[in-house]
Amino acid sequence: MSGETRIMTGRARRAGKAQTWLAQNPLIALIFVFIALFLVTGAVQPNFLSINGVRNTLLQAAPLGILAAAQTVLMLTGGIDLSVTMIATGAAYVAANQSPNGAGVAILAGVLVGLLIGSINGVGVAVFRVNPLIMTLAMSGILLGLFTAWTQTVLAGSTQVAPFIKLLGGGAWLGSVPYSVLVWGGVALAVIWLLRRSGWGRLIYAIGDNDTAVRLAGVRVWQVRLSAYVLSGVLAAIAGILLGGRTGAVDLQLAGAFLLPSVAAAVIGGTSIFGGVGGYTGTILGALILSVLNSLLTFLNVGQAIQQMVYGAIVLALAWGYASLTRRS
Amino acid sequence: MTNAFVATRAHPALRALLRNGWVLGVWLLLGALLLWYSTLIPAFGAFQITSITKNSLPLVYLAIGQAIIVIAGGIDLSLGALLLLSNVIAARFMEGQPIGVVAAIGVALVAGIALLNAFTGYIINLSGVPDIVVTLATSYIWSGLALWILPSPGGGTAPEMRWLFTGSPSGIGGSYWPPLLMMLIPGILVALWARTSRLGLTLYAAGSNRTAAQLAGLNVRRSKIVAYAIGGAMAALAGLAMVAITGTGDPRFAVGAGATLNSVAAVVLGGIALTGGVGNVFGVVATGVTLIMLNPILIAMGVNSNNAQVIQGVLIAGVMMVGGLSAVLRERQS
Repeated sequence: MSGETRIMTGRARRAGKAQTWLAQNPLIALIFVFIALFLVTGAVQPNFLSINGVRNTLLQAAPLGILAAAQTVLMLTGGIDLSVTMIATGAAYVAANQSPNGAGVAILAGVLVGLLIGSINGVGVAVFRVNPLIMTLAMSGILLGLFTAWTQTVLAGSTQVAPFIKLLGGGAWLGSVPYSVLVWGGVALAVIWLLRRSGWGRLIYAIGDNDTAVRLAGVRVWQVRLSAYVLSGVLAAIAGILLGGRTGAVDLQLAGAFLLPSVAAAVIGGTSIFGGVGGYTGTILGALILSVLNSLLTFLNVGQAIQQMVYGAIVLALAWGYASLTRRS
Repeated sequence: MTNAFVATRAHPALRALLRNGWVLGVWLLLGALLLWYSTLIPAFGAFQITSITKNSLPLVYLAIGQAIIVIAGGIDLSLGALLLLSNVIAARFMEGQPIGVVAAIGVALVAGIALLNAFTGYIINLSGVPDIVVTLATSYIWSGLALWILPSPGGGTAPEMRWLFTGSPSGIGGSYWPPLLMMLIPGILVALWARTSRLGLTLYAAGSNRTAAQLAGLNVRRSKIVAYAIGGAMAALAGLAMVAITGTGDPRFAVGAGATLNSVAAVVLGGIALTGGVGNVFGVVATGVTLIMLNPILIAMGVNSNNAQVIQGVLIAGVMMVGGLSAVLRERQS
């Protein structure tokens, strides 16, 4: 062993140093991955390497990024929310239903849906100590049943959202910056500030790390946990309203495809599914990487089967790479 | 604390009863539901038993596989995708083949998919990436592969195969013995194996405290691979049961994802803690059947299918809330 270290050349040592540096700044590695994927996509479809390509990537990533924000905050506490996509769909439906009353009312009603469902999830997980996987899974089934029934009764015919919501979801500010990206930017700043600078954020990390210790330190853990689920519900509702605005029409499959990617984006971004480790900046990169990957696979036009296989393989490779990179430090 | 005290003093039979209280409870619940169902519909008989048994086979297999993996300290979100893979390979290659070839394909599928999932377990060991993330990624790979093998629903299987899982060569009606035995035999075998064999106990040890198991000299890495192999084999059986019941292959992603989530729900309701090391495989057989049976019961009660889904969700969450609340109350007492 010691002989091996002695004959290590200068180049190898430099490589080792670079690796340590990357291990300490894994976000840099993610940025490299993003740029590489972006360039590969550009090589496949030259039109992609333009302002338009960047705009499309951001536009695609915005709802995913907001859903992944909900997932990130919960994963930091050691939880998860499998009902985010059904909350998003439900919020979009209610917003469409309230659209005749004006966009303000519609958005408020949609967000209230997220607030309400998030609170129920939170009470189940924080007060009744139901495993988050099961609580949110059951909630997802409940919402699917409710909204399938309601689309034929109280929500019947409400598939069109107000023009303002369409502008918010699909339009662009000054014709260049999509409004949904601005909303995402606002959400991102708020979430990052909450996690890094607020006492609440510190408690989120602390609970994920060791909730017994936090409880013994005198914190009402259940309140913090409950608030995290409420936040998750609200974020999911915002993502749903943006999605409804982008597609213009709302249906029950509106957000379904985003569930696994929302978890994957947080994981690729380095947030531990066991809690206490990670942050939202990584998740933003994860969402961007997955969006570019989606564009790349669409441009390659290989069919859905190959798309799924490549998507899975790349998510696995990224998670593996991230794990081996950070374990070394 | 008082519980443990009673348990050490009590008669061995009572002790076993106390330890397996949850398993007994879910079987009693299933019995009560069956009894109730029999009063709800005018003619309850062999037809209903056959239909409930065969329709719950895929979920029960998947839940047994998930249970073993969860006990060993993991979780497998790719089981549903493996079910799809087994389902489409069977549907595509078994149609119109002689019985010998069909049997060979069936055996090869069970062995092959077990090996495939053992490889997933190996990757989890090697990479240090959490189980849930690795299997989330492989679930995309396997369902993509399934879609590639069978781009649209179709294919078929042999009548003998359908008889084995449904009790009738045409998949309609028939005797309830074949599906019932096909459900109970794997359930009992896997449960006994996990509770009595050396390797099975290693799964419990590794799931409850990985470091302690490792320090005790157990091969923790091998136990994970074995658990994933069993999970794969059960998923392959679930896929075969699916093709036997429906008579066709179905590569849709949503079918696999739904099956995976149901398997996790069945495992948790069956009293197996998601933290690993706790629980009995035999309980999930009952919860798997219960989850499938709720739908026809609610429909027999005149509830429409959307509301039935709502009630199912409320029941799952409700049962878990009662369980969680009683744990909290016990903590307060001690």
